[in-house]
Order: sequence, then C-alpha cells, then structure tokens
Amino acid sequence: MILIILACLQAILLVAAAPLVSGSARWMRAKFQTRKGPPILQDYYDISKLFKRQDLHTKDSSFVHRLMPPLFIGVMMLIFMGIPVVTRFSPIPLLGDVILIIYLMVLPRLFFALSAIDTGSSYAGVGGIRELLIGVLVEPAMLLALFVTILATGTTNVGEMGMMVGSFAAVNPVAVALAGVAFACACYMELGKLPYDLAEAEQELQEGPLSEYSGPSLAYCKIALYMKQIVVVSLLVAIFIPFGSATELTVPAMALGLVLYLAKVVVIFFICTIFENVVARVRFKLFGHQTWTVVGIAALALVFFVLGI
Amino acid sequence: MDGFMIVNILGGLLILTSLLVILIKNPKNAAYMYGGQALVLVAILATLGFVTGSSELYTWSVTAFFTKVIIVPAIILFALNKMQAKPDDLAPRFALVTTVLLVVGEVILCYLAVSGIELPTVAELKPALAISLAHFFIGLTCIISQRNIVKQIFGYCLMENGSHVSLALLAPEAPKLVEIGIATDALFSVVIMAFLVLRIQRSLKTLDANELTKLKG
Repeated sequence: MILIILACLQAILLVAAAPLVSGSARWMRAKFQTRKGPPILQDYYDISKLFKRQDLHTKDSSFVHRLMPPLFIGVMMLIFMGIPVVTRFSPIPLLGDVILIIYLMVLPRLFFALSAIDTGSSYAGVGGIRELLIGVLVEPAMLLALFVTILATGTTNVGEMGMMVGSFAAVNPVAVALAGVAFACACYMELGKLPYDLAEAEQELQEGPLSEYSGPSLAYCKIALYMKQIVVVSLLVAIFIPFGSATELTVPAMALGLVLYLAKVVVIFFICTIFENVVARVRFKLFGHQTWTVVGIAALALVFFVLGI
Repeated sequence: MDGFMIVNILGGLLILTSLLVILIKNPKNAAYMYGGQALVLVAILATLGFVTGSSELYTWSVTAFFTKVIIVPAIILFALNKMQAKPDDLAPRFALVTTVLLVVGEVILCYLAVSGIELPTVAELKPALAISLAHFFIGLTCIISQRNIVKQIFGYCLMENGSHVSLALLAPEAPKLVEIGIATDALFSVVIMAFLVLRIQRSLKTLDANELTKLKG
C-alpha cells in the first residue's frame, strides 16, 4: 500500500517539478550568455498563460491530434511510477521492467509523429518524420546499452539492476560501467537538448510537431516533454548511479534517498546544461553518425562482458 | 578483488586505449595516447610481477616504462616536429563504428580461440591472454584503416605491445635477454620507420599512403 502511494506521489511530483527543471535550464543558459534571462519559474507562467488560451486544431486533424497531449503526459506518469526514485527497488515491480519502459517511451513518440502528419501542415509533417527517425536511431542504441547490463545483472527489472550495480555485485564491472557510458550518451540524445535541438526557439530536429498545437494542448505537450527529460535522467540514475537510495522503507533512509536523488539529478542537469551551452546544433544528417558511436561503445561493453571483466 | 582481476581490467583498459590511438585523428595526440597505453602496459607488467612474485617482471616494467612510455612517443613526436609541412589530419579509410566493430569482432574471436587452450598457469588470466592476442589484429586494423603513415607506425607498436603482454603472461620467468631482445627490437624498428617517414615526407611532400604508389629508390 505504501509503495502504491509512493508511486502516485512520484508521478504527481513529476508533473509539478517538470517546468522547474526546464525553467532552471533556461535561467542557466541566460547566465552563460551573460543575459539577465527569465526567472526560474518562467515556464510555470508560460504554461498557466497557455491554459487560458483557446485550444485550436487544424480543420483536417482527427482524434489523434487531440489524443496525443494527454496520452503523452499519461504515459510519462505511468513510466515514472515504476522507476525507483527514493528507493532502490521499483515501487510497482510490474512497471519496472526495462524493456517495457523503452517500449512505453516509443508509444508517445509514435503518436507525436502521427499527430504532426495528422495536422496536414507540411512543416509539422517534416518535423514528425524527423522525430520518428531520431527514435529509430536512438532507441536501438539505448536498448543495446541496456542489453549488456541485462546480461551482466541477469534481470530486466530496473530496481534489481540498480541493486546489483549499487552493491557492486555485478561480475563484470568494466562492462557495466561502459554500458552506463553508452546509455548516458543515448539519454542525452533523448533529452532534446542543444546539439540535437533548441527547444526555446523554433523546433527543428525534435519537437517539430508542436508547431500546430496551441493553448492547453500545447501546455500539455510542453509539460510532457519536460517530464520526459526527468524520466530519462531518473532511469539513468536508477540503473547506473543508485548509490545511497533507500533499501528499506524507513523514514530516515527514504529522506536520505530523496536528498541524494535530487543531488544526482541536479548534478546531471547541470552537466547537461554546460554541454548544451558549449556546442552548436548538429546537422541533421550527422545525427546517425553519433548514434553509431553509442552503438560502438555498447558493442565494446558487450566484448568486456564476454571477456568476463 | 584479486590481482588477476586487476590484470584483466587493465587488459580492458588496454583495448580502450588502443582504440583511442587508432581513432584520434591528429598524430601528435595519438602519440600522447600511445604513451598512455604504454603506461597501462607497464601497470599490467608490474601487477603481474606482484601477483606471480617474479622479480623479472618488475625489471620488465621498468625497462618498458623507459622504452615505451618515453622513448617511442618521443621519437615519433621528434619526427613530427622535424617535418617541414605540418601533416594535415588525413581522414581514416573506415568510419569510426566500422573500426570499433572490427576490433570487437577480433577480440571475441581471440577469446574463442584462447578458450580452447588449457594452460594451468594462465587459467584466471584468459581474458588478458585473449586481449594480448587480439592486439596483433588490432594493430593490423590500425594499419589497414589509416591513410596517415605516421598512424600506421602506431599499428606496428600496438602489435608489439600485444606480444609483450602475452610473453609476460605465458613466460613470466623468461630470462632478461629475451626481454631486452623484444624491447630493443621494437625501439630500432620505430627509429627506422620514423626515419623512413621523414624521408618520404621530405621527397614526396605527403603522408598519405594512398599517394605512395610509385616510390623511387
């Protein structure tokens, strides 16, 4: 029962905290460029403003266009309910399966691209196709990295993987570490940050489909995209950096787990923001080369697994 | 974690560093990276010496430190500085991922080859033995994948490092004379190759192996 409450709390907190994460990234970006920049809470203001606006859909659009924003948010909440955040184990073990999580991440992406084609706008359509292409390139790389971890830990459950890694029980430390590096690279591509996208201005690589959304639908989409960033980072933390999270359900252990989780996420987003501000946007055609690099790292991890180190 | 595990992990690091030597485009940076790889090699020799308790391996690691970490990169850096026209970063023949996957395949093949051999002395060190055997092929990969002839010298050096590690694994009690033979052999071949590269660069003004189709004596 406590675990179910914990899972629901996680999902609600995810929705509440999502604009804060993107807002602080924008604020830091402004500081890097020595601008005054928007306040950290700016994304909350933007979203509350969007909710007051009219919800417009193009004439030709079907139910897909209306369904996508709530579906995106719903799926992200569902995924986050299964990810260990303050605890070492998954609050709902059924949802903690890593293959399920990856496939659940594909579902909103498919609807995202479909809704773009659904609008009839050619610009959004191109954005949708690019979004799908990125999915096709990143997700196999992500799965390959996780595949090595699954082999090394002998389980597909996020919580149990984290437990093995956290107690250094995995027999192949080098393979797991390298798989973690590959997974972190793939995660960064999923975040939709600068070399691959610039979410503040017009969207080009990822998130192109947003161009035909307005009002509350756009607000939903924005929250969902920010939520996705937190979900991806939490997945990385849960599997590869689970150190310090609560192994039993006591208040002090969980408080420590929460503090450490927040610290890890803040550090990761800080590193991401630094990286985001020192690179230029990558040409779309070169994206495939970089996902191949991730595949290369994952293949090396597989070798180390075979060698038993 | 016991000493054998440390040797195996260092062997994994050896693969990573050799890959970096192959993949780094600028020959100067590759030379520094090669120095780093030789440092890993020295660590392997020293750890093996500690684990097996053989004093020869300590002397091996000391000589390897001087010949491989200092002298070989120094020779190549010296040759690079001597060149009048600075070598431009020649693009390799293969894409990055092709090289990585080739190396991955080679290591797995070598592991399969080694797993058939039963040797009582290296039962725990089989991964390290597979890695040292694979370095022969990794060196070959470096030679065929690079157009820059300076980078091709590193391919030879990688092969040589592999043979050094496998000798240390299979015959830790080998007399010093063998070791001196290996070290000086590598040293002189690098000197000769660096000299050849300098002459080629001076007379043909290129480091591109693709353009060296009609060498005249």
